[in-house]
Amino acid sequence: MEEYPDIEITLNVNGKDYTVKVKPYERLIDVLRYKLGFTSVKEGCGRGECGTCAIIMDGELVASCMVLAVQARGKKILTLEGLAPPGKLHAIQKALLDTFAMQCGFCFPGVIMAMKHLLDKNPNPTEEEIKEALSGNLCRCGSYLRFIKAAKLAAEYIRKGQVYFEFKG
Amino acid sequence: MALPTAEYVKIVEELFEKVRKFTYVGKHMQRWDAIEKILGKARFTADYANLYKNLVYVYSVRTKYAHARIRKIDVSEAEKVPGVLKVITHKDIPGVNDVGYVIPDQPLLAYNKVRYIGDIIALIVAEDPYIAEEAAEKVYVDYEPLPVILDPLEIVDPVTLEEKKHVLIHDERESDVVARYRIRTGDVKKGFEQAEVIVENEYRTPYVEHAYMEPEAALAIPEPDGGITVIASTQCPYEARRAIAKVLAMPFNKIRVAVPPLGGGFGGKEDVANEIGTKAALASLLTGRPAIAVHKREESVIGHSKRHPAIMWYKHGATRDGKLVAVEARIILDTGAYASLGPFVAWRATVHSVGPYKVPNAKVDTVAVYTNGIYAGAFRGFGNPQIHFAVEQQMDLLAEELGMDPVEFRLKNVLRNGDRTVHGQLLDHGVGLEEALIKAAKAADWYRKRAEYAKQTGTIRKGIGVALLWHGNSIGAEGADYSAVSIIINRDGSITFRTGLIDMGQGAIQGLIMLAAEVLGVPPEYFRVEMPDTASVPDAGPTVASRSTAMGGNATLVAAYKLRKKLNEVAADLLKCDPDDIEIRAPEVYCRRDPTKKIRWIDLVEECFWRGVSLQEYGYYRAPKAKWEDETGHGEPYFTYTFGAIIAEVTVDMETGKTYVERMVTAYDIGRVVNRVGAELHAEGGAIQGLGYALMEELVHSPEGKVWNPNLYAYYMPTILDIPKEIIPVFVEAGYIRGPFGAKGLGEPSINGIAPAIANAIANAVGVRIKSLPMTPEKVYLGLKRKGLIKL
Repeated sequence: MEEYPDIEITLNVNGKDYTVKVKPYERLIDVLRYKLGFTSVKEGCGRGECGTCAIIMDGELVASCMVLAVQARGKKILTLEGLAPPGKLHAIQKALLDTFAMQCGFCFPGVIMAMKHLLDKNPNPTEEEIKEALSGNLCRCGSYLRFIKAAKLAAEYIRKGQVYFEFKG
Repeated sequence: MALPTAEYVKIVEELFEKVRKFTYVGKHMQRWDAIEKILGKARFTADYANLYKNLVYVYSVRTKYAHARIRKIDVSEAEKVPGVLKVITHKDIPGVNDVGYVIPDQPLLAYNKVRYIGDIIALIVAEDPYIAEEAAEKVYVDYEPLPVILDPLEIVDPVTLEEKKHVLIHDERESDVVARYRIRTGDVKKGFEQAEVIVENEYRTPYVEHAYMEPEAALAIPEPDGGITVIASTQCPYEARRAIAKVLAMPFNKIRVAVPPLGGGFGGKEDVANEIGTKAALASLLTGRPAIAVHKREESVIGHSKRHPAIMWYKHGATRDGKLVAVEARIILDTGAYASLGPFVAWRATVHSVGPYKVPNAKVDTVAVYTNGIYAGAFRGFGNPQIHFAVEQQMDLLAEELGMDPVEFRLKNVLRNGDRTVHGQLLDHGVGLEEALIKAAKAADWYRKRAEYAKQTGTIRKGIGVALLWHGNSIGAEGADYSAVSIIINRDGSITFRTGLIDMGQGAIQGLIMLAAEVLGVPPEYFRVEMPDTASVPDAGPTVASRSTAMGGNATLVAAYKLRKKLNEVAADLLKCDPDDIEIRAPEVYCRRDPTKKIRWIDLVEECFWRGVSLQEYGYYRAPKAKWEDETGHGEPYFTYTFGAIIAEVTVDMETGKTYVERMVTAYDIGRVVNRVGAELHAEGGAIQGLGYALMEELVHSPEGKVWNPNLYAYYMPTILDIPKEIIPVFVEAGYIRGPFGAKGLGEPSINGIAPAIANAIANAVGVRIKSLPMTPEKVYLGLKRKGLIKL
């Protein structure tokens, strides 16, 4: 295999700077998962089609399997691990629990990121806007109807100023 | 000599008879694992990579031909690639080179021939996944290509079902027929003579992909005693252990299989760990290092079993007053290159082949054949979504011929308490099918809408359709049917729950905790579910066949009942009252007749410890024995059946042929609702997966046997934009005496009736009957055009 040099990059993940050495061909998803340990970022298809690896990078929702790590140099990244302060649930997480949406949970990190991206830009989305925003997230267990309810509920919580919640367990 | 009724049967029946009021069972409760999942902390198999150092990576070199003889395999160049530690071929396998589930027909590593596009030639084990993949290019194979057979009708004759002359795919078996089953009830010839209306049609269904969001993964760790621990995404840890041990030539007790949460399974993870688990284990054994194998999506699609494509020919006869008198059917299932669960799928399809109706005369022949397609095996429904698609359209066509309402026609023929199935099995209680149909019709406003939609004009038409379903619970006559759990009450009063049943998202384990909580009188939050691991949990049988709640539930009741009995006795002695008078409402325990006599839960547990009363219990349950006569298809194939009625409402755009599912009512008789949230999620999730099966899903092979759509951009499945506005779940609780508090399974039944209900709704909307899945816009549009219903 041809030798490629290591490249040192700094990423800001969930508010903290990380400096890592990466190969030019390494994908952001692998660096997040295996070099930095943010395993909420899941690989479902490796082609940006399923949404399980969705993260928010500089305010945009991106599929981290479609981004090279070097392209993320200096960017601000949000993963599910950084959504709420330790010991708290974000309104989106709370709403997904309130609507009993959980099944296998593999798509959830991506779904939550897509909801967060939507609600950051649109605090009071319509049903159609919610569907559009989540249309890139596949859920094979079929919790879609509950995602719609949860997004509405989360928007309501946030509008009321209830962004973080205490939880048991 | 009649054997005495086992204690575990008595316990289950006693609880069914006695308990009528529930504290936890049937309530909406949060899943035990919801918090760790919502936080993104749940650790799925591939996530374990971070916990091990010095990993090696396993990459599978797959065949370039779907059917070929192998003259030579040369891995010498690949072995020279820096960073490659080992290239494993069939020659390196210490034990038996086979990972077949039902039949030993599936080599782990190909040696003399390849039979489909996913067959593996060699495993590259390297320091880094990129190196492994690159080295794969340097494995040279000399192939002698053979004709690729993808049409099961090249294997068997469509009328006689006799095997035709063809190039054998499984030369070693001397036949490409995998299994045959039949039903012979009454006299179909006489039955059809009595029939005043007869409908006869052929139906086809395609290859379908599970597309669980988590592709398969396995991580193997060498143990100091020479054993191997395998962390794998599988529905069946004990079955995976058996398969791995066989390939590695090791005793079962040196292979340990642990199962993290699964990112979906739907049957696809029933047998695939036999393959991926073994790949990781072999790499670990041969390198002495932890080894990880993770399938990419494209590998997952070609590397695990699919839903069987089916060709079904059905002839139904009824009298003018709407009584079914005869059903004749031939069912051909394509099991692809390997049997996987194919023989069992074919059997289940045969058992259910006439639908949940009284059928006095039936003649059914089923055959499962090999082709060079991807191997087909277990997938939610297990042969039933196919046959229901055919049978339920036949029922609508008969109703149409008779000029009867489809609901009314079905009500004349449904199985009720006291009826016998087509196999002669007496259903003496717990049949809630009629109630489900009546409730579904009411919830969907069936009669009004049916009348209203008959008067439509214009190119946007609405339609409403019904389908009934049934589904035998657990594995029936397929094999040994048992389950087990252990419950340990720790000295601090907390509870440890162990079972070999897996949570793949379906929520069954939550149901088990609720059952245990109910019997013990201890809230579910006291419980911790331990990770299924053959080193600690009892063998509970496979997590398949909609059996976890019914079978695992009974085992849970048994363990909890035994604990409760001991706790009651110790508490009664302490509080000076009768053991039957003890009420446990942890953290309190008191006498019902005098609640001032009480102790704390934790003190009762401590007292048991000092008295030497063990609070570690094992619960075992064995299903009533199933019976099946091969020649006639008579007997008692399953101990009980889940029943259901689906009503789907659609809008069809006649100018594009596109179908939109607007609303679904799904009414299921599941005996007793245990985990209500889980049941509702099944009703919704099964409906959405069924909608995909109905309208969009199909895995397509090229003529050379390659797969055209092995990723999620080309394999269409429902997104949030495709779902109905509403899915209304209705539950009927008819109660089955040997289910936990009467409960039956819902995992698979929830997909059986969806596609035919949608098909019947399309026919109601636009008068076009689509007899092959998926019911794409093209098929609907061409159907309209052929009938002259649209001029464009």
